[in-house]
Amino acid sequence: MSEDEIRQEEAIILQAKKDPKAFGVLYEKYFDRIYFYLLRQTDEEELAGDLCAQTFVNALNNLKRYELRGVPFSAWLYKIASNEVNKHFRKNKGKKVFSIEEVRIKELVAQSDDSWDEELIQRLIEFMKDLPLDMLQVLELRFYEDRDFKEIAYILDITESGAKMRTYRALDKLRKNFKLKVKYDG
Amino acid sequence: MGRNEIRLRRQRTTARGIDRFRNYNSVLERHEQTQRLKKIMRVFGFFVVILIVIMMIIFLSRWEERGTESNSHGMNVASSVVIKT
Repeated sequence: MSEDEIRQEEAIILQAKKDPKAFGVLYEKYFDRIYFYLLRQTDEEELAGDLCAQTFVNALNNLKRYELRGVPFSAWLYKIASNEVNKHFRKNKGKKVFSIEEVRIKELVAQSDDSWDEELIQRLIEFMKDLPLDMLQVLELRFYEDRDFKEIAYILDITESGAKMRTYRALDKLRKNFKLKVKYDG
Repeated sequence: MGRNEIRLRRQRTTARGIDRFRNYNSVLERHEQTQRLKKIMRVFGFFVVILIVIMMIIFLSRWEERGTESNSHGMNVASSVVIKT
């Protein structure tokens, strides 16, 4: 995100603090991203839609308390969305779902000989099932949402070095277990 | 360690169909409703505080009245005892 874009967003936020209608621009800009983020964690379109609406309502309700902390505004929205999902699963005693697109797995892991087969995908999924939840969350935000470590740390309420460590550990596990080249420019 | 629930999506999720959830007016309406409710709760809380303060003042003044009444009654009894002796 460029400096100019950040400044533009800041101006919109300042305006929206006085007039909530101005927030509409940010709603339109981030709706898709937040919706898909929620869909990946719920695997239910209706539920993701409801949680997405609630995320933006919460954001609007708390906009006056929002302060710039060196991370883009979207990180704040991700944080609210993440809290909403956790709240939903706590309330309904359900288990958090990680819905991953096949294409994204293939993008994450580069097979040298292009020999992707069903068995390998299933093995990868089985492996991910046993990954600690905090590692999965970091991987999701890093590779599926393209968030940087500072943002991940802010969203998950951990330190930046903690976010990096979790990612490296998860990738290490992946490399050791599958002998795959993981696309990562760290 | 509990196993995570990982589901595989064969097809990439697209923006198609997402528009039925996109409704800023409804978000704005819910926000306004919450703000109204907050305002009502604030006013209600304010009245409750005032009511508690008024009740405390009444209670304290009555307690004080009772105190002075019992004091004067005690003094009367003591003076009558002194007269009798």
